[in-house]
Amino acid sequence: MEWSGLGLLILVGIGIIGTGLPAAFILFAAASAGAIAGIAMGTFPFSLLWALPGRLINLLDNDLLQALPLYVTMGLLLDRLPIADALYRACNAVLPRKASAPLISGVALGALLGPMNGSVGASVLGLSRVIAPRLDAERIPPPTRDAIIAVASTLGVLVPPSLVLILLSDAMLSAHTFAVTQTGRSDRIINTADIFHAALVPAAIFLVLCVLLAWLAGHKAKSLPPREGTTFRQGLLAGVSVSALLFLLGGVAAGYFFAVEAAAVGTFTLLMGGLIAGHLPRKVLAPLLRDAMAITGALFALLLAATTFTLVLRLLGTDRLVNNLVTAIPGNDTLAVAAVLGVIALCAFVLDAFEIIFVVVPIIIPPLLVRVADARWVSVLVLLALQSSFLLPPFGYALMMVRGVVKPPAPFRGFVKALLPFLLAQWLLLTVVLFFPRLVHFADNSADMVRTPVNTMPDAEFDKRFMEMLPPPPPPPE
Amino acid sequence: MTPKEHDKHGSDDVWPLRLVDRITAKAIAAIKWLALPLVFLLFLQWPLRDALHAYSREANDLGQIIFALYVAASVTAATRMGAHLAADALAQRYSRKVRRRIRQLGTALGVTPWALFVAFSGKSMVWPSVQQLEAFPDTYNPGYFILKLALWLMTALMLMQAVLDIARPNDFGER
Repeated sequence: MEWSGLGLLILVGIGIIGTGLPAAFILFAAASAGAIAGIAMGTFPFSLLWALPGRLINLLDNDLLQALPLYVTMGLLLDRLPIADALYRACNAVLPRKASAPLISGVALGALLGPMNGSVGASVLGLSRVIAPRLDAERIPPPTRDAIIAVASTLGVLVPPSLVLILLSDAMLSAHTFAVTQTGRSDRIINTADIFHAALVPAAIFLVLCVLLAWLAGHKAKSLPPREGTTFRQGLLAGVSVSALLFLLGGVAAGYFFAVEAAAVGTFTLLMGGLIAGHLPRKVLAPLLRDAMAITGALFALLLAATTFTLVLRLLGTDRLVNNLVTAIPGNDTLAVAAVLGVIALCAFVLDAFEIIFVVVPIIIPPLLVRVADARWVSVLVLLALQSSFLLPPFGYALMMVRGVVKPPAPFRGFVKALLPFLLAQWLLLTVVLFFPRLVHFADNSADMVRTPVNTMPDAEFDKRFMEMLPPPPPPPE
Repeated sequence: MTPKEHDKHGSDDVWPLRLVDRITAKAIAAIKWLALPLVFLLFLQWPLRDALHAYSREANDLGQIIFALYVAASVTAATRMGAHLAADALAQRYSRKVRRRIRQLGTALGVTPWALFVAFSGKSMVWPSVQQLEAFPDTYNPGYFILKLALWLMTALMLMQAVLDIARPNDFGER
């Protein structure tokens, strides 16, 4: 029956594309079908499904997930308040008067606001509103305009403390706990701060590459149209915003704040600022909160569905099958990681980053971490693969969003051509991190150094520990 | 279309459906404001912990209860606003009738059995917790039972919305 779990995964992909239904609905249906099949075939007893409510209550009780509504609300506030506009103008004013300046400002804005934004989708909306009309006014070709907006919108994936990074951290924490339990290694379980630190250097490298590519994309322009100036008020707002953002980013990177607290401080500051400045009257605030609730609900529904689906896969024995498949990958750790990243890249053609984090990562990463001890390295590589998935033609989420939001959209071929240098830079970085794991270990202390994996334990011991992780559920009611 | 507008135009609706729609809409409209105390309480944790050295755990526990209620209602809010993550590039080519049938089927076979099972199987966790007015296990602060009760709130709202979406799929994702 373990292969039927993989069949269910393929059906989920087909169902999502073929029906157009919410991914969460498809996962609920697939989990129900898998559970019925498993019980009917005698693979597991009905009573084991009684573990589900406990797992769902764990989601309601999860400190880290409190970041969801905070980041979503913060993203919407950044979109409604004039901060992004002030930051963009100030950045343009600081840079030399060249044709590349607006493109570099767009990248900088993505890097500054991305980590504080709700999601890539929110970043696309915000950056499109602020940057697109100004790049048009600067006579930047539409394909370059769209490529810059798409790439800048995904910078928040890598730059901590983004929502994608926090959700992946949670999934990696569970995967690492499983791997350490199974192997008996004495590694400290990674946490959100570890992954933040690990992602810092690759994020900085990608940012530099993006700025260079933006400069190259813009430097061919011959003429410079007149440019809007920056008022004192906008300059002041930009200065205060940059200071606040750097304070929050620095606080999280230094471990002074937890990620959820940083998100809460940011959201609270924006809310208070907006209310005091009169930008958030009830008729603006009420729809904003309604949108925030709906977006939070979309992500939480996916989390509920993925939790149910992965429980069913585990009961069907699919996790053992994936474990065996990952163990059977020939070659060294690098090859095993490359193969798993390839699977994630394939999934990215059908699923978006959140679906990959909630559905694919819990299935495929635990066995990888059993084999590969360096959880920080694997986490950053998964992040890079996810970022790439947002930009991957033809269905990359950022691509689709930009084409849907920015009017008039650039011709698709031209858009992909303008995007290609950024994608190549992204893949180059992924390859460099794959072959030079030390790039993610700059902030490690000696106690955090990765230990050599010990031999995998015998099957009987594994089964015992596996059952300990999934204890028998309470008896069903009479 | 807002619930009010629907009442005006949805002449084919029977009153129980209108009632379910109104209750769901009111619950979500009220719970959305919980985002404000949630932001405030989670913000407050930092100064309480680092400056006052007290009540940080209380703020966290209260925030956790509010978070549970908020996300419990948010799933249905996403359904009503059509905000769920979906790849519908292909499905947009289907006729409106086919899409309606697919939505009804997805709700009937996906959401409904799941919500019914969770509501039923959660009884052994939720009901004893409510009866004992269970406190938070780490801090002994009161109110942990509300967090578990949120599971029932979530399934109740999802089931109510499922009834609406199956009975009148024309409005799916437009409320």
